[in-house]
Amino acid sequence: MSHATPRPGTFLVVDDSALHHQMYRLIFSKGPLAGSTVYHAMNGREGYALLAAHPELTLVLLDLNMPEMNGLELLSRRQAEGLHPHVPVVLVTTESTPEDEARGRGAGAWDYLRKPFQPADVERLIARLQAERAPAA
Amino acid sequence: MARHSKAPVVAAAPSVFEFADQVAAQEAAAVAPAPVGTLHLITFRLDGEEFGLPVETVREVIRVGDITRVPQAPRHIRGVTNLRGRILPVVEIRTRLGLAPLVPRSTARIIVTDVRGRVLGLLVDSVAQVQKVPADRLVAAPDEVKSAHTTYLTGVVHMDARLIILLDLALALDASASPT
Amino acid sequence: MDHDNAFGELIQEYIAESLPLAEAVTDAFLALERRWRDGDTDAADAAGLKGTLHTLKGNSAMMGLAPIQLVAHVLEDLTARILADTAARTEAAAALLVEGSGLLADLVQAAANPAALGGAAEEYAGRVRVHLGTAGDPVGQPLRLERRNIERRADAGADASGTIRVDFRRLDTMLEIFGEAMIERSALLEVYRGLTARYGSGPEIADLERAVSALGATMKRLETALMQTRLLPIATVFGRFGRAVRDLARDERKRVRLVTEGDDTRLDKTILDRLGEPLVHLLSNAIVHGVEPEAERVRVGKPPEATVLLRAATLADQVQITVADDGRGLDTDRIVAKARALGLDAPSADREAIHALIFVPGFSTAEQVSTVAGRGVGLDAAAAAIHALGGGIEVASEPGRGTSFTLTLPLTLAIVRSLIVEVDEERYAVPLSHVAETVRLEPGTLHEINSRGVAMWRGSAIHVADGGQLLGTGATRTAPRNYYVVLFAGPRRRGLLVDRLVGHQDVVVKGLDPTLGRPDVVSGATILGDGRVACILDAAGIVALREVA
Repeated sequence: MSHATPRPGTFLVVDDSALHHQMYRLIFSKGPLAGSTVYHAMNGREGYALLAAHPELTLVLLDLNMPEMNGLELLSRRQAEGLHPHVPVVLVTTESTPEDEARGRGAGAWDYLRKPFQPADVERLIARLQAERAPAA
Repeated sequence: MARHSKAPVVAAAPSVFEFADQVAAQEAAAVAPAPVGTLHLITFRLDGEEFGLPVETVREVIRVGDITRVPQAPRHIRGVTNLRGRILPVVEIRTRLGLAPLVPRSTARIIVTDVRGRVLGLLVDSVAQVQKVPADRLVAAPDEVKSAHTTYLTGVVHMDARLIILLDLALALDASASPT
Repeated sequence: MDHDNAFGELIQEYIAESLPLAEAVTDAFLALERRWRDGDTDAADAAGLKGTLHTLKGNSAMMGLAPIQLVAHVLEDLTARILADTAARTEAAAALLVEGSGLLADLVQAAANPAALGGAAEEYAGRVRVHLGTAGDPVGQPLRLERRNIERRADAGADASGTIRVDFRRLDTMLEIFGEAMIERSALLEVYRGLTARYGSGPEIADLERAVSALGATMKRLETALMQTRLLPIATVFGRFGRAVRDLARDERKRVRLVTEGDDTRLDKTILDRLGEPLVHLLSNAIVHGVEPEAERVRVGKPPEATVLLRAATLADQVQITVADDGRGLDTDRIVAKARALGLDAPSADREAIHALIFVPGFSTAEQVSTVAGRGVGLDAAAAAIHALGGGIEVASEPGRGTSFTLTLPLTLAIVRSLIVEVDEERYAVPLSHVAETVRLEPGTLHEINSRGVAMWRGSAIHVADGGQLLGTGATRTAPRNYYVVLFAGPRRRGLLVDRLVGHQDVVVKGLDPTLGRPDVVSGATILGDGRVACILDAAGIVALREVA
């Protein structure tokens, strides 16, 4: 398979670090993803509210460690409430054990993104997602 | 007599304080060090008399600008002045020598001295020049001069008809020790 | 910044976000180290730090700052260890945590210059790994509390790669240069005023005004930024007292608990460096003379363990430090008796004035007093040290309830907002922090009582001294005194007659050369906009003067 190019979409970034939001802004404003719509949430609670308001999201990038509802808590709550289960969520972590990952997947995470990542990592991830979710040709 | 006090005078500024001790020691031992080279003196006037300071102890000579009084300062402190952003204490060397305070005229200058990192200004009537003096012209003061000025004198230089009195810089520092 | 890092342009955002985190970690580890040393090896609050360190590690990794990532990583490991294992809570572990968090903050600050970061991080990580490999080793190393040690060690590591760590003296130099720029700006302002006076208004004058005022605003920001770099948490000073208090209390056979509050209050390093000694005086006074022996406390119904409180708080542009004990309080009768014995003027009714006597030079140093009046050595020294810093000290005491000393200190030493006054053609700067009010002198409002000037001010009579006489120009009064400035320091007030109020100005404080003696009424000097030197009046010294006409 050729190296796929991702297409712009609608994204939700949930992270308590202003720095990371800046990084995502760079990623979504340059290259193949330029033109995307990005929503920013500074904690899990905000993120959950934005997720509820935007069923059209292409992907949620969800930080694992946050005050006010961390990533796993957000996922569990979404699962319990059955909120937009079709929206894929990627858990972003600095390091995680296989058990962590299993728990995340059990709670409905589509995949993991490990820090440190570069724009190309995010682009590849989104391209893979879009290929997977695309209606069969 | 004519030889024994010259070497210390040409030494660098930090040695000025040791000088008095050395003179005393030398006088006691009557040891005469060999004369060395040439002295460079900045000469200036106080009430008609000519004084000199080794150039090594002088940073610069500046015109007299505004001098601000400092309340409760020691008696021989005229005040402070702005030396390029630095607060320079100005010593009224005249009163230290028993003369009346200076009435500044356009010829008046402040000699900025640096002794062991202590920077002080000496207010003088006027500054003449840098005078080269063969080291062997420096002699201990004649007794009659010495008895009157023993506290600030480190030696005298005879040049033709002139008599240059070498000022002991410790005197300026001393001004701070004597209370108001 | 790394060229192949996609986020390089975010380096300032990285520093802005990470530095407060790193500093919070440092402060928390300092507090933890202090507690451990005091025998309390609880580590519960370190759990939160692990998360912060994790965030720092993640941020640094994203930015490609491997050395910072490494330090955060080993700190996280070390924190995990002390959380999991109480036996690992040794002094050596605490010292490593404090050192590492300090290093972390320094590295973050230097992150814009990544080439400089390597050595110190590797060296530190190596030592942590060794420590973790041998943790539980009961032989603790001596505590290293002072950041200076940390910096020296880090320097040794980073020197080879051209560190950008800054020697504090360079900050002083920067401040001096800034001071010169301030003076030059004042000079510019004077030129502007002169031009306006001569030519009135016009487009160029308006442009000049905008430029001068923009320059002023920028200078203000620069000053703030510069001052921020000089501020350190007071924890670095408070942290030194835990053991001293414990030892002294043991010597005195008393039970004393030291409580500190506001450890993260920040102060200029210059002030911090000079705060230790007066605080030691006040603390030992509290323990030796303020606090009662256990039996006496129990008898009067107090808890057997006494509490000594050391608290810091920021109030606007000042820091207030309180040293309070719950001991027996000051004995006013004995203070009065002692004062009379020393030939001092002792008021009999005014409790505040009686309390203030303990700061009179020589009063508290008298050995006799330390036992009878309940206050001992060094209060005058402490007061002098605080005054020298441009601060004030007050005491409040309730018999049987305790005594509390309140120190008020400027946040920074170098720049002081001042009122410029003129007396006999000499200009002086009066720090606004000590000016209660300026009053225009109306005929008939100044009375002479016992050849001292007295005026009614806000309902009470205050002494109004002649500026010329006080400052030594009185013999040649050349202008009418049109105003008086009400100075205050602590509860004391004194008016000072001056000829003219020139205006307000931020002045850069310069010290006085020792050649100038040690005047009571002047604390320093500054250079005004016109290049002339003005003395800065020592308001605390002036209100404390005893013999003033």
